[in-house]
Amino acid sequence: MSYVAVVDDEEQVRTALTRLLLASGLDAESYACGEDFLGGITKRVPDCVLLDLHMPGMTGLDVLHELRRSRRALPAVVITAHNEPEAREECLAAGAVAYLCKPLDDRVLLNTISASLRRASGGHANPGER
Amino acid sequence: MDVDSASQRFLGLSGRRWRLGAIPGPLAQMLLVAVGYYAAARIGFAFTLQPHPISTLWPPNALLLAALLLAPARAWWWLLAAALPAHLLIELQSGVPTTMVLGWYVSNSSEALIGAALVRAFVPGPLRLDSLRNAGVFLLCAGLAAPLLSSFVDAGLVRLIGWGERGYWDLVSARFPSNVLAELTVGPLILAWAAVGASGLRRISFTRHAETAVMLLALLATCLMVFDLPRTSTRIAPALFCAPLPFLLWAAVRLGPAGVTTATALMTVATIWGAVNGLGPFTGSTPQDTAHEMQLFLIAASVPMLLLAVALDERSRAEREAHEQRLQLTHLARVAMLGELSGGIAHELNQPLTAILSNAQAAQHFIANKTGTPEVLSEILQDIVASDLRAGEVIRRLHTLFRRGETQFRPVDLNALVGEVLDIARGDLVTRSIEVRRHLGAEIPAVSGDRVELQQVLLNLVVNASEAMSAGTPPGRRILTVCTETQAGLVKVSVIDSGPGFTAEQHERMFEAFYTTKAQGLGLGLSISRAIMRVHDGHLWGDANPGAGASFHITLSAA
Repeated sequence: MSYVAVVDDEEQVRTALTRLLLASGLDAESYACGEDFLGGITKRVPDCVLLDLHMPGMTGLDVLHELRRSRRALPAVVITAHNEPEAREECLAAGAVAYLCKPLDDRVLLNTISASLRRASGGHANPGER
Repeated sequence: MDVDSASQRFLGLSGRRWRLGAIPGPLAQMLLVAVGYYAAARIGFAFTLQPHPISTLWPPNALLLAALLLAPARAWWWLLAAALPAHLLIELQSGVPTTMVLGWYVSNSSEALIGAALVRAFVPGPLRLDSLRNAGVFLLCAGLAAPLLSSFVDAGLVRLIGWGERGYWDLVSARFPSNVLAELTVGPLILAWAAVGASGLRRISFTRHAETAVMLLALLATCLMVFDLPRTSTRIAPALFCAPLPFLLWAAVRLGPAGVTTATALMTVATIWGAVNGLGPFTGSTPQDTAHEMQLFLIAASVPMLLLAVALDERSRAEREAHEQRLQLTHLARVAMLGELSGGIAHELNQPLTAILSNAQAAQHFIANKTGTPEVLSEILQDIVASDLRAGEVIRRLHTLFRRGETQFRPVDLNALVGEVLDIARGDLVTRSIEVRRHLGAEIPAVSGDRVELQQVLLNLVVNASEAMSAGTPPGRRILTVCTETQAGLVKVSVIDSGPGFTAEQHERMFEAFYTTKAQGLGLGLSISRAIMRVHDGHLWGDANPGAGASFHITLSAA
């Protein structure tokens, strides 16, 4: 069973997303901030991370930079409630596999995660998910 | 075709609308003029000091002139024609030859026409006594020039027809003041009440009606004592003339042109009625001298009161307009600021919407998988309700800020207000990676203020700080601190940022309207915020921080 980490400062959002992933047959764990997530992956490395872009303290982009710096090949799907074209480009350039805007439809979200997991395991990614 | 539209066509009024207040249709106006002219002539006859042949007050001409001033020029001839039957009906009863009756109709009509034409030359459209300029034009053209010029016409016609024994200048000197007094009392009365109209009358509060009634009753009682009791001593007469003055001033200051013209008309009637019946101070000399003394007294009393009422009314209207403009500008600035915050607001709404959608879809998956226990589904529903309420709260707060309303002073808890403002700005602050620190004082007393306007001030300061930091401070060092404290009976709120601060020139000019350092700013936020604080008897100022950044402070008196 694939394990997905959810990083979002909004408790209501991370609870709901975690619940959705669990209901869809994935293993999921949530983190309230980037620092907690980066500390958590030293114990258990997720197969994919859903990463909120705008968080107090360490932002999603900071987490992406930190993952790249630590050379962790972890598929990260950036999610945001405030869509900005420049932020999308920055995130993809920083290593995000996808950039999705909230609210998130379950089919789009689950397909994006599946594609990220396939790509991480050497399969083919669906180009339409970027 | 209905009667009103038929009469509009009859008088050629189908184009521009000339209705002022609740002025009825043209045919009804003609009927009103005819009836009014007849009644006014009856009053004029009743106010004649026998055997003096010219009335102390001759109101029909003033009524006719006022009717013309309220109507378009192309309807004037019809209104003048409407007065003819009334004029013939009343004058022919007095045994005057028909040629003289017609001659007086010509001179009376000429007064109305001269006055209306002169006024219309300076004030296009229906005349409203709503400015000193309009009142001045009315007094000079309708109150002075028209009676003077028409008196020459009238005396000429009388001499030409050979009616009576009086000389030309004697006729002029008797007719002129009689008509001036009528123009200055009856004309403004009609114009002022036409401006109020039936709908305006309905809008006047019960308290104001009661105040008017009390003022008029007090004035009537005073006038009856001064002008309608048997004459006792000539020594006290001059002092008694001042007795109605407080009530006229009351009317001018509190009740506007309609109130003061009503009061003046009441005093005029009481004064002349007393003299006609041999009562009051205006007795004891010849009828002609008595008439002149009364006319001078009444003209001298009515003109300044009318001008005072109009001036106060004009100033009050200018203040209302300035207040309305301030509200409009405040609202526009608020809406513009919310426009700047739209990204952050979308963020704030998308969060609960995301939670609602993901929770609902999670429930669908649980049900489809048959793994959802009632406890789990119940928990999901509770979370959906909570998220929905949060979204509703965001919308409610926005709705309050978007709505335009009058300034309403109520007790406001500034700590709670800070929380509301930071909630509204949260999306913007989060997306700009700004850390918020709150240092809210304990037991901060409530202040009296308009919640929405005070929110606008604080939101403006937060947005300015947020924009300054995101433009000039790297993420991680963007800190917004909001403090509340009490200082010497004042409640102080400070918004402190870690941005680049401001220069001495910016410090000097930042509260000027249209001064901005932003690429797309209107430059109104701080000037409007300071205006709002002035309305609240509060203060708003800004300082550069000793290290970096800027601090803005507001102070308000505790309620």
